[in-house]
Amino acid sequence: MSTEKLKTLTDNIETIIRGKPQEVKYVVAALLARGHILLEDNPGAGKTVLAKTLAQSISEGTIDFHSANGGVAFKRIQFTPDLLPMDLIGTHIYDEAKKDFVFKKGPLFTHVLLADEINRASPKVQSALLECMAENQISAGDTTFQLDPFFFTIATQNPIEMEGTYPLPAAQLDRFFMKISFGYVSEEVETDIYNNYLSINNGKNTVKQVLSYRDIIHLQQEAEKVYIHPELIKGIVHIVQGTRKHQEIALGCSTRGGITFIKCLKAWALVNQRDYVIEDDVRTLAHPVLHHRMIFRNREASRTALMQIVDQEVNKLAKMGIQAKK
Amino acid sequence: MEEMKDFFTSDKFKQLLIRQVLVVIPTIVIGYITLRFVNFSYTALNTGIVNQSIYFSVGIILAYALYYYGARWVISLIILWLFYWFVERIISRLPGEFDVFYASARFQLYSTLFVIGWLFGLLLAKIRWAHFILFGLIAVVTLVSVSDTIDLSLSYILIHVAPVVVYGLYMLFLSPVLTERIEIDFKKSKKFLIRVSLFALLILLALIITENLFSGNLKAAEKELAARGAKGKDGSGNNNKNNYDDRNGLMEKTDDGYRLKDTMRVNSKMSSSDKLMFCSKLENYFPDGSPAPLYFVYHYLTRYDPVKESFTRDVNIPSFDEMEVDPARLPMYYSFTDTSIIRKSQADKFRKITEASIYLSENTWKHAVLSPSSAFHIQTIPVEKDFQKTFLSAYKTFSFTSELNNAYFVYNISASPMLEKIQEQRYEELRKIKNYKKVDSEFLTYYTEYPSGKIYDSISKLAFSISSKEARPVDKVLAVRDFFLKRNENGKRIFRYSLRAGSIDDPNIPSSKMLYDFLFKTHTGYCTYYAGASLFMLRALGVPTRFTTGFATINRSDKNKGWYWFYASQAHAWTQVYFPEYGWMDFDMTIGNEDQQSAPKPDGTPPLPPPEPWLVLSAKAESVDLTKKQLVASFKNLIFQNTPYSLNKTFTRPVDASLCRVLYNKRDTTLAAIKPGDSLIIVSYKDEAKTIPQPHQGVTIETQVEGFPSPVIADEIHIRGKENGTKKNDTAKKKNKETGKNITLKDIAWVGSITLGSALLLLLLFPLIYLLYRFTRLAFAKQGTTKADQVYQLALYRFHMSGIERETETPLEYAGKKIDPALSIHFAGFMQMYLRLKYSSKNWSDEDQTHLNRFAKEVGPAIHKKNGFLKTLLNYFNVARAIRYFQPPAAELNDTLN
Repeated sequence: MSTEKLKTLTDNIETIIRGKPQEVKYVVAALLARGHILLEDNPGAGKTVLAKTLAQSISEGTIDFHSANGGVAFKRIQFTPDLLPMDLIGTHIYDEAKKDFVFKKGPLFTHVLLADEINRASPKVQSALLECMAENQISAGDTTFQLDPFFFTIATQNPIEMEGTYPLPAAQLDRFFMKISFGYVSEEVETDIYNNYLSINNGKNTVKQVLSYRDIIHLQQEAEKVYIHPELIKGIVHIVQGTRKHQEIALGCSTRGGITFIKCLKAWALVNQRDYVIEDDVRTLAHPVLHHRMIFRNREASRTALMQIVDQEVNKLAKMGIQAKK
Repeated sequence: MEEMKDFFTSDKFKQLLIRQVLVVIPTIVIGYITLRFVNFSYTALNTGIVNQSIYFSVGIILAYALYYYGARWVISLIILWLFYWFVERIISRLPGEFDVFYASARFQLYSTLFVIGWLFGLLLAKIRWAHFILFGLIAVVTLVSVSDTIDLSLSYILIHVAPVVVYGLYMLFLSPVLTERIEIDFKKSKKFLIRVSLFALLILLALIITENLFSGNLKAAEKELAARGAKGKDGSGNNNKNNYDDRNGLMEKTDDGYRLKDTMRVNSKMSSSDKLMFCSKLENYFPDGSPAPLYFVYHYLTRYDPVKESFTRDVNIPSFDEMEVDPARLPMYYSFTDTSIIRKSQADKFRKITEASIYLSENTWKHAVLSPSSAFHIQTIPVEKDFQKTFLSAYKTFSFTSELNNAYFVYNISASPMLEKIQEQRYEELRKIKNYKKVDSEFLTYYTEYPSGKIYDSISKLAFSISSKEARPVDKVLAVRDFFLKRNENGKRIFRYSLRAGSIDDPNIPSSKMLYDFLFKTHTGYCTYYAGASLFMLRALGVPTRFTTGFATINRSDKNKGWYWFYASQAHAWTQVYFPEYGWMDFDMTIGNEDQQSAPKPDGTPPLPPPEPWLVLSAKAESVDLTKKQLVASFKNLIFQNTPYSLNKTFTRPVDASLCRVLYNKRDTTLAAIKPGDSLIIVSYKDEAKTIPQPHQGVTIETQVEGFPSPVIADEIHIRGKENGTKKNDTAKKKNKETGKNITLKDIAWVGSITLGSALLLLLLFPLIYLLYRFTRLAFAKQGTTKADQVYQLALYRFHMSGIERETETPLEYAGKKIDPALSIHFAGFMQMYLRLKYSSKNWSDEDQTHLNRFAKEVGPAIHKKNGFLKTLLNYFNVARAIRYFQPPAAELNDTLN
């Protein structure tokens, strides 16, 4: 039941986002793992469209936010260097009628948040956002506002080499469950996109609402129930510890990173319509989940070191026979 | 206490113990084997294999354990240095009795071995592939030792190289396991047990192959080794070969060669044998640099036994200065110092320390020290390899000698002005001693003890008739000398030298009577007569004197400065006279033999320049007689007295090869190596040949060849080559096989190529063998998950060998992206099922069973369909591909992010 629903969700998104099934799955998996995702790419690759489409695919449930289009609430913040924290979380304004200060909620009070070009904002703003992501709550003055359990951030960032950016420190990157690179599409897909650009542009109208808010909450619970084999957990331990021992890696993966990895693996298995994790998942997810948590000694190492460790472990797992079940 | 217990029961300690057993002990064993072999090959190292191994093992064990507990290179080396420093301190602090020489040579060897052991231990602990370094080192050492062996045979090589190879294989099998934790409960350490059993299997296989291939050779080698061991056990092993008979002479025959008798009967016959007894290098020179010979002393006979009427050795001597040690019992480089001799030596004027190296032939008595007098230190030294045939053992001695003393004394009046001057100087010096008043009375009494009796009284009277009691000691000595040199009215000497002591050579007459006869009647005798008579006369005059036996130094090498050689006939007796502050001086009263001048003896000292041949034949062997040690050779070209000739016809001569050296490719071999038809170079030396025909002017060479001795005595035979065709070679080879000896290079190459060939064949067949193995595993697999595993493994291997190789992708990706499109088989579906079985919490179902069986049947046909039967088969000979199957995939470059 839940797998079918997921299939419809991904298919639905893929009608808009062409030629990127893997990336769509990543985003959905991050959502189901109750995490957040960081997309790193050049402008115009379709990040915003993806976030919007995802939000619109989920139908309106019992929400107290303003929903633009019948789906769950979707907000977009374009980060700039002069943005202030209160531009995100909102501010107290004087209400003439009540003769009191009332809190005017900012754009953070939403379900799906698209934080565009997060690395252009000042560290102060970045940390304000990251606090909500981690704690799922907002503190303004003396009041604390609980965010909805379903709070999903899709942050985008420009490649670090570009000017006018404040790169996110490793500690903050750690809060993102995944960091993926969008990349450009292939020739055929691009041709296809140009042929159909009109319908895509008017995506608002064509995207169907296939899942409800409740469905998502349910799927998130489902994801937690996905079975992960003890040998796989052992493999993950080896990978995580391997990153700490590797000579070319200055900062290895943290235990939080390992937990996140397992969460993501489970969600990923569900996205792939399985109720168990397999070795392929480990190999597929290792880079998006683990890579951004580590600091490498050189560029060469950042390209190869992680996959060396992972490949070795996955290969061991592939050679392992079927273990007797208890 | 509790802590100690914890330490010993801790897991870390147990792991260390296991590793010590698994790694260190095999290394020690191979170290022991190598050391033993090296000791066997190089006598210079021969100082006790057990001690060597102990030092080596202690080094390894300590270094390994220290490393295990955290002492890395620097710390370990510091500890080693401290250890070394302490030992050095302890040795230098030991009281003076401790011998420095003793410490140095051995200490260096042992400390070197210890440090080598230490380094080995560190390497083993630190580097994973250290086994290969050690293996390489040991192999090189073994091979070098093997290559130095004279009679090289395949079995010899095998026996010595095999342990090293076994060690290498053992480490090769074990080293991957060692980096991991080893379960002490062996039930749990499956991996380890598998490796050990694999190793055992391999060795067993090798043993079976070796046994089948070389069983004959091995038996022969075993016999050879057994023979060697037996020979080593009973010492020199040449006891019964020499029938040198000198029973009545100065020498007596013992199990270990000829020795000078402890008791010197005056009627002992002088030995006249020209057997080479020993050779020595004496570091004693005159101020002008010419060698100053010294007499070589065996024993002092100090006490006259009136019952036996002979001089005997005595132990209770005041200031006894004979070093009592058995050099044959000193291992190589061990040394012994008698500090009491240093202490007791009261002679301090003109004293010096003289070094002498003595090389003993097999004829010499080896259990007493032979050296210039007052030796106080002895160290055994090796004999150079080239002379090991002549000399069996050697040692070096240090003696206190007087600069005044030398063998050019007294009697042999020299013609050289230099020597005369030295004798004069000595006389002047010794004249300073006026009497023996200052000498310890006990000492004086002992050495002037004089028997009473009619004969002795008359000797005493004679003594007083030639000198007075008040004369200075040296004048008394010279008076005795002059007495023996006296000439009669006709100008002829009264005393003569003769080996046949006149007509009274009758053993029944008591010795004292013989002395009496010698002095008053016959005036004819040899060294013991002169020494005995002068001993009595000098003692009668109150001069402390002793009877000395040993060797006179006559033959001085002209080629090698400081070298002397000694024949059995040079065994000698003379007197030593004591001069306070100067010590004991040799005085030889024996007069020269005027009647018979013995011919100069050939120089027997090493190192010899190559001997000069009188005849060199380029010959062909016609027949070989091994029992007579003779061969018949035909020759046409020869070098006779340094002139080459080519004869107008072929001569055939018997050649006596009983004493000759046979060489092949510059290596020593035996006469048996010569086969009829071989071309030889036969060399005969000038020195050895008894009758050398001299070249004559105007006589044709052919006539001269007719005059050659028959048989020609050969000193060296060089085998130049096997002249006949391959057929003969083949028969020779067969013969070799039958006798299991003398294996040629060809045989080694043959065995080598067979080994290599079978290894290559095994490698070529390896992919098919593995396929077979997979099929067998599948056939024996139980239904269910095990079967699924086997199907999966077999399928992976078959797909891989069909040419579609998995790289870094996971099996599922491999199935979906590579196999299914290429073979149109539903591998991805199987993979999904397989992964579900493997990773999901759900159990096995019947549906899976049918799916599995269906897929298992599809694999083969799918591959055949794509590749065809022949290509499929051929694919299994792609060894490189099969090897890649077992290799972990190379890491993929991940370009997606950057």
